[in-house]
Amino acid sequence: MGVSFVRVYKANCNKLFLDNMVNENLVKDVVKEPYKYGFVTDIETEKIAKGLNEDIIRLISQKKEEPEYLLDFRLKAFKKWQKMDEPDWAGLGYKQIDYQDIIYYSAPKQKEKIASLDEVDPKLLETFDKLGIPLTEQKKLTNVAVDAVFDSVSIATTFREELAEHGVIFCSISEAVKNHSDLVEKYLGTVVPASDNYFAALNSAVFSDGSFVYIPKGVSCPMDLSSYFRINSGDSGQFERTLIIAEESSSVSYLEGCTAPMFDTNTLHAAVVELIALDDASIKYSTVQNWYAGDEEGVGGIFNFVTKRGKCLGKRSKISWSQVETGSAITWKYPSCLLLGEESVGEFYSVALTNNLQQADTGTKMIHIGPKTKSTIVSKGISAGNSINSYRGLVKMGKKATGSRNYSQCDSMLIGDQASANTFPYIKSQQPNSEIEHEASTCRISEDQLFYLQSRGIEFEEAVSMMVSGFCRDVFNQLPMEFAAEADKLLALKLEGSVG
Amino acid sequence: MQSKMKESDPILEVKNLFASTDNLPILKGVSLTVYPGEIHAIMGRNGCGKSTLSKIIAGHPSYKITNGDIKFSGENINSLEPEERSQSGIFLGFQYPIEIPGVSNLEFLRVSTNARRKFLNKEELDTFDFEELVKEKLELVKMDKAFLSRSVNQGFSGGEKKRNEILQMALLEPKIAILDETDSGLDIDALRIVASGIKKISNSQTGIILITHYQRLLDEIEPNYVHVMAEGKIIKTGRSDLALELEKNGYEWTDNFVKKT
Amino acid sequence: MKIIEKIKTNKLAKNQTEIQKICLHKLQSSPLPNPKSELWRLSNKSKFSSFLDYSVSEKDLKSDLPYPKNSQNIIRLVIGENYKINLKEENYSIQQLNEDKLDKFIKEQISCFDQNENWCNLLNLSLSCKNNILGLKINGSKIPPIEIFSHASNNSLNAKTLVIFLEKNCNIELLQVNLGKENSSLSQSTFFFLEENSSLNHGVVSYGENGSNLLNSLNVIQQKNSEYNLGSLHFKFNYARFEINIKQSEGNAKTNIKGMQITKKDEQISTYTKIDFNGPNGFLDQINKSLADDKSHAIFEGSIKVPKIAQKTDASQLSRNLLLSNLAQIDTKPQLEIIADDVKCKHGATISQLNEEELFYMRTRGITLAEASKLQLSSYFQEIISFIPVSKDRWNLLDKLLNEN
Repeated sequence: MGVSFVRVYKANCNKLFLDNMVNENLVKDVVKEPYKYGFVTDIETEKIAKGLNEDIIRLISQKKEEPEYLLDFRLKAFKKWQKMDEPDWAGLGYKQIDYQDIIYYSAPKQKEKIASLDEVDPKLLETFDKLGIPLTEQKKLTNVAVDAVFDSVSIATTFREELAEHGVIFCSISEAVKNHSDLVEKYLGTVVPASDNYFAALNSAVFSDGSFVYIPKGVSCPMDLSSYFRINSGDSGQFERTLIIAEESSSVSYLEGCTAPMFDTNTLHAAVVELIALDDASIKYSTVQNWYAGDEEGVGGIFNFVTKRGKCLGKRSKISWSQVETGSAITWKYPSCLLLGEESVGEFYSVALTNNLQQADTGTKMIHIGPKTKSTIVSKGISAGNSINSYRGLVKMGKKATGSRNYSQCDSMLIGDQASANTFPYIKSQQPNSEIEHEASTCRISEDQLFYLQSRGIEFEEAVSMMVSGFCRDVFNQLPMEFAAEADKLLALKLEGSVG
Repeated sequence: MQSKMKESDPILEVKNLFASTDNLPILKGVSLTVYPGEIHAIMGRNGCGKSTLSKIIAGHPSYKITNGDIKFSGENINSLEPEERSQSGIFLGFQYPIEIPGVSNLEFLRVSTNARRKFLNKEELDTFDFEELVKEKLELVKMDKAFLSRSVNQGFSGGEKKRNEILQMALLEPKIAILDETDSGLDIDALRIVASGIKKISNSQTGIILITHYQRLLDEIEPNYVHVMAEGKIIKTGRSDLALELEKNGYEWTDNFVKKT
Repeated sequence: MKIIEKIKTNKLAKNQTEIQKICLHKLQSSPLPNPKSELWRLSNKSKFSSFLDYSVSEKDLKSDLPYPKNSQNIIRLVIGENYKINLKEENYSIQQLNEDKLDKFIKEQISCFDQNENWCNLLNLSLSCKNNILGLKINGSKIPPIEIFSHASNNSLNAKTLVIFLEKNCNIELLQVNLGKENSSLSQSTFFFLEENSSLNHGVVSYGENGSNLLNSLNVIQQKNSEYNLGSLHFKFNYARFEINIKQSEGNAKTNIKGMQITKKDEQISTYTKIDFNGPNGFLDQINKSLADDKSHAIFEGSIKVPKIAQKTDASQLSRNLLLSNLAQIDTKPQLEIIADDVKCKHGATISQLNEEELFYMRTRGITLAEASKLQLSSYFQEIISFIPVSKDRWNLLDKLLNEN
């Protein structure tokens, strides 16, 4: 009757694989790769005073020369935020955040108006160079346009002219506020209202920079767009805001990468991303998140509290989230889709890897509102060390979502007996003519599989990493080419020394 | 081709039928008339609309008739429910018979048979009498009694499913049977069993429509007429030699035919 | 909400026993469950308060049992009917638990109760007078099937408690029937303690009449090598809440659960299950089915906890739901919380309506839509019903369900 649950679970999970077969020393000998993006750029920055109040918000707005409506938006959000409580339902254990001990605006000092990349401080260019994101004309990545954000401001955006030829707008949100104010005013806060949740309200009050993308009607964006976020200072939070609008029959693939230096304090990152897809438009949003995760004892690391949501407004529109979450001390993130348009499609593909004392609480919300909407959720959680990795998701079929479908699959892999893997799927239906199917399984790497690989001459660590990347294959397949390879490497790196 | 004067009234008349699903037109003007005692074969590529035609005649709720008529024994049945069509004598043999876990095959066959008997003003059968009847019909398709105690089609092999379809046809004694690719997935022995079952059940009062890709079923049951479908229409009608021609030359020409018209 | 007032003013029961006093005291700190708690967030407030709106009655009128006792080889008990039980046969004995042991056991349980998670048990134990607590100790073999009835009388709230110790190597079949009369509330708490090597095939059938409410809380502790099989069915309640807490105290035990709830009209029926594996090699196979029609609301939330100590646990939980009407609602949340790494755990959930292709297939065979739906439903029900012990031969539950639905 209807959908069937029984499937053969891919992983054959039966036996302890490490305890007895691995020479303990081998594991200890494995060189732990340090977090290679942990350096600090020594650059003079302009910071405002610590703390959060109306004056600070006015000051941020003033520094960015914002129009009245935006200041208004910020102040309203701040008022709401003050009345809200920090959410605790995810049961994440972390030291209380002192919101008055954070700097809400920090920017590298440079000339007021920069005419070209040549005028950007070489130290900044060098920083992004080291991160593998060269920005200069000679070295810039081909076929990917990059918006580089350093602390609170956007440093540079490449390929702007080429994109402009197609009518594509790709710039920092601060610039968009100046040059495309009508679009910003029309869409900002329409997907994630300021009062949506505690961290979204905070972001709405103090957001500093982020990316803005506008794809005009009928245009399929000629290259991938990418933002690279870099937190440099240890005492300032990062609150970026991204807004992507895809007009009728347009399409875009957007990539996001993040790193931060190693500090022994926790840095707050509370971003908001809003996506809007009109009729027949499609947005693919991919993230590789590798914020500093703290050390083995759980000291330091980024608190990553992010609200990402897409609105499939138009008929047959499609929003696809794919993410590889490997960093941050704490991740609290649920990229979601509001499926309003008839036959619109939402997708969520996620790999979350936690090690040491990391905590990740991530998942998605698929809210089916319009008829014949479809959503797919594939989530792979890998927990190692003493970490906690939870999938938390909501699938809801509204009264009008006739003929809609959802399929969810959440698999967890546990490495070692100190890590935990949780699955919390909330499923709600008010529409009989719709189908929801959810499956979840937990497994470990099987001894047999491992032995098979080893018997073919594959090194132990290599075999584990092959198994893990095999486990994540369904998700990696969704990533753009450049990212997929990187994600694979990243996982292998993160796992080194964790097995055993 | 159907110009010959017939002595009796047609069992089934499909007149200029247009139908769609999800606003996608599938049938674009199909006409077909079947008289008692006739065997018709409908052939064509996948996706030409032959399965859809069979489902529409049986009353599948996902398809909408946008124009045209289906008449059965002279009455328009466009708006009849699927069960009413079945009770009045239309039988559809499914290409992929549905598995219904938990519902016993015996119970299913009995309820179904009694529904038809009730329509025919025949006495309904209790479990005991029905088992007698079913045993006799099992012979026709060379099936074992054990089939009856299983769930409907669940865990049946491809051949078993098709034989179960013919068993149902034998029990329901339809006036017209539309057999949708009943031959697919059968080895030659199973094919012969199925074909001989069909021949035994049909008589001068019944009509049969065979939907198939292959000649081999038609070697066993010779059709009076062969129709070729493409793009939701019957584009050619002939005698049984047309099927042989198709077997030899393939369906490519039907594409051209559609393009030209 | 009469009960709440009485809890606040400590006027719930006359001649309170010590257990009643302890529970009342615990309830007084917050007389209502916290709606912010995960376990109560979906509970319909007005329906829940209608449960609390009847006066507590310690005695209930003799009620007609749903089917006659048509076999001598069956032990039939009604909670609240006062009798001394002391059955000593050649192979087995069924005896009333002595008061001290009963008290001690219940107090131990209460000491680990949490206000939100065990609110129903706390309420039950503060309402159950001595007469309405039945404690049994069972041992031996070849024990005849046991039937235990609880019911609530019209316009009143009745609270019944059942405690059973199943001693080593003993196995029984037990059917528990909870009946709600028109406009009534029944609070039923059940505690089973399964000693090593014992096995219990447990059936729970709860059904009500117009305006009846039920809080049914089932608590099972399983020692090693014990096996607990539960088949449960809840239907026809204005508001019903079925809580299952199972603890495999040392692991190495087997638990099978097949439960079903059927909601019609504007009923709300929910099932909450919590399974704790407190040792290695535990096994769980659980399926919960819901069927929601009309304007009703069916809820399932399941939680499986596998701590580090519970290596080699094999647990599977499946929630299957049929939503038959545009105005009905289904919520389901099967959860896994796992720390042990060498485990096999999976869960699944589906929500759909009756399969259209199956329906069409049957209709093309002349079976009417109504009959075809009935055939499908009966196969949907059958899997659960056939798992309910004792009822199979003498009580045609399936017919009852199909005819009433």
